[in-house]
Amino acid sequence: MHSVTLYHWEPNANSGKPMLALMEKGVAFNSHYLDLLKFDQHRPEYLAINPQGTIPAMVHGDRVLTESTAMMEYVEEAFPGPRLMPEDPRDRWRVRWWMKFMDQWLGPSFSMIGWSVFVGPAVRARDPAELKAAIERIPLPERRVAWTKAISGNFGAEEMAESRRRVALGIRMLEDALARRPWLASDEFSLADINGFNLAYALPLAQPALSNDDLTPNILRWLRTIYARPATRACWAMGRTSMVERVKILEQPRIAAGQLA
Amino acid sequence: MSLTLYHGEPNGPSLTVLAALFAKQLRADLRYLDLARGERHTLDCAHEPLVAMSIEGEGPVLVADGEAMSDSVFIACYLDDVGQGAALRPAVPYDRWETMKWCRQMIERTAPAAAYLGCHAHPPQVDAALLARIGSMDLRARWEEIAAGQFSAEKLEDSRTKIAQAAERIETRLAGREWLMGAYSIADLESYAWLAGMVPLVPEAFPERTRTRDWLSRVQASAPVAKALSLARTADPAAVWSVGPEINRWG
Repeated sequence: MHSVTLYHWEPNANSGKPMLALMEKGVAFNSHYLDLLKFDQHRPEYLAINPQGTIPAMVHGDRVLTESTAMMEYVEEAFPGPRLMPEDPRDRWRVRWWMKFMDQWLGPSFSMIGWSVFVGPAVRARDPAELKAAIERIPLPERRVAWTKAISGNFGAEEMAESRRRVALGIRMLEDALARRPWLASDEFSLADINGFNLAYALPLAQPALSNDDLTPNILRWLRTIYARPATRACWAMGRTSMVERVKILEQPRIAAGQLA
Repeated sequence: MSLTLYHGEPNGPSLTVLAALFAKQLRADLRYLDLARGERHTLDCAHEPLVAMSIEGEGPVLVADGEAMSDSVFIACYLDDVGQGAALRPAVPYDRWETMKWCRQMIERTAPAAAYLGCHAHPPQVDAALLARIGSMDLRARWEEIAAGQFSAEKLEDSRTKIAQAAERIETRLAGREWLMGAYSIADLESYAWLAGMVPLVPEAFPERTRTRDWLSRVQASAPVAKALSLARTADPAAVWSVGPEINRWG
């Protein structure tokens, strides 16, 4: 079998999606950690692998795959192991619907908040000339804008308010969906849950007024159940920053409303 | 299996789903909606969360055995799974990855640009009473901007760039190929559905005597697309637009 190398950052958001999918499938892979905060993803050696400079990228044999959600579907289809897509076609539609919703609507709002409180402050202290050079190396114009905003803290009040609105609504939608089914998109664990966990694992810590055992018991049940899976434990143990240590909030047996606010 | 498809003019997402339905030899109760007037919001199922919060904008809705489904590419995947005849996605995992990645680029970059330019050139006329029924606040906000004729010069220019980039990707991809993924696929349907109406609006992106122009003609003449186009109620369905996906808020 061809070897698999995954170029990734933390088990978080897009990087964590194929990491956890590979580990759930039991696929061994060479881990190549890229430090997003040091702009490793825009260095020539990585751009030679993925010219767009986005993380993650997976090399399987001599082929390079990008786009984390499509990559997860590839992992599901190319390797043996436990099934991560339901058999029923309507369930599969629901898996894809939720992944798109999280990737393109809810996730960007989470990350706008996350970048403003974590990524921006983490890199802002660097030498301005070094940051300017790093931004100029970013191949995609949209990512240059995003990084510039994150570094400068230049998110407008209106767009931050819109992100908060979407996060609050998204949390209600997740809670409603998980009240109807044990897993997000069907009655079995799927790629939608892997995607969702990467988005929401720190939710009760990041949004304590909106997500806790009193307000969103089904989200908390879902997060704790995923966190208890051996693959998730092994995956999050690969994290190197304080950001992913937030997952330990899920070790608390109960998080009451107001407890963390 | 009971299928009811609520669709608009055969353009954009409605065209993708209609063509996939016909390609897979499926029968559905076809119900026409004037998506450019916001008629989707008259449906009871429009208020179900996975329809109301679809980020595709004013797309078709397939009701399959009582469940209302939105998002044209994923409806097409569903139809590919349950229908007959040639597959609309490749069988090899790497080729399937390429198909889904291609469609994601169409969904995320090309579709918002096409809908924005299409609505600018052919403004939809929402029924004001229907605006209040739109469940998604951001979709309603996009409707209100378009109804007020508020188009940003910057977004229009960026949209033209994104259409040109899509056409370039297609031109490159078609070297030595008849169809984008080798065999006729959802990628052809989705790409054609958003780009056919862009030829007159961004003509510089579609020079004559290119592989892309030949491919557009081939897709148009393919039996599933031709059958979908035969359902048009206007002379030029590619000139009928409604509110589409949001242009990326950031990065």
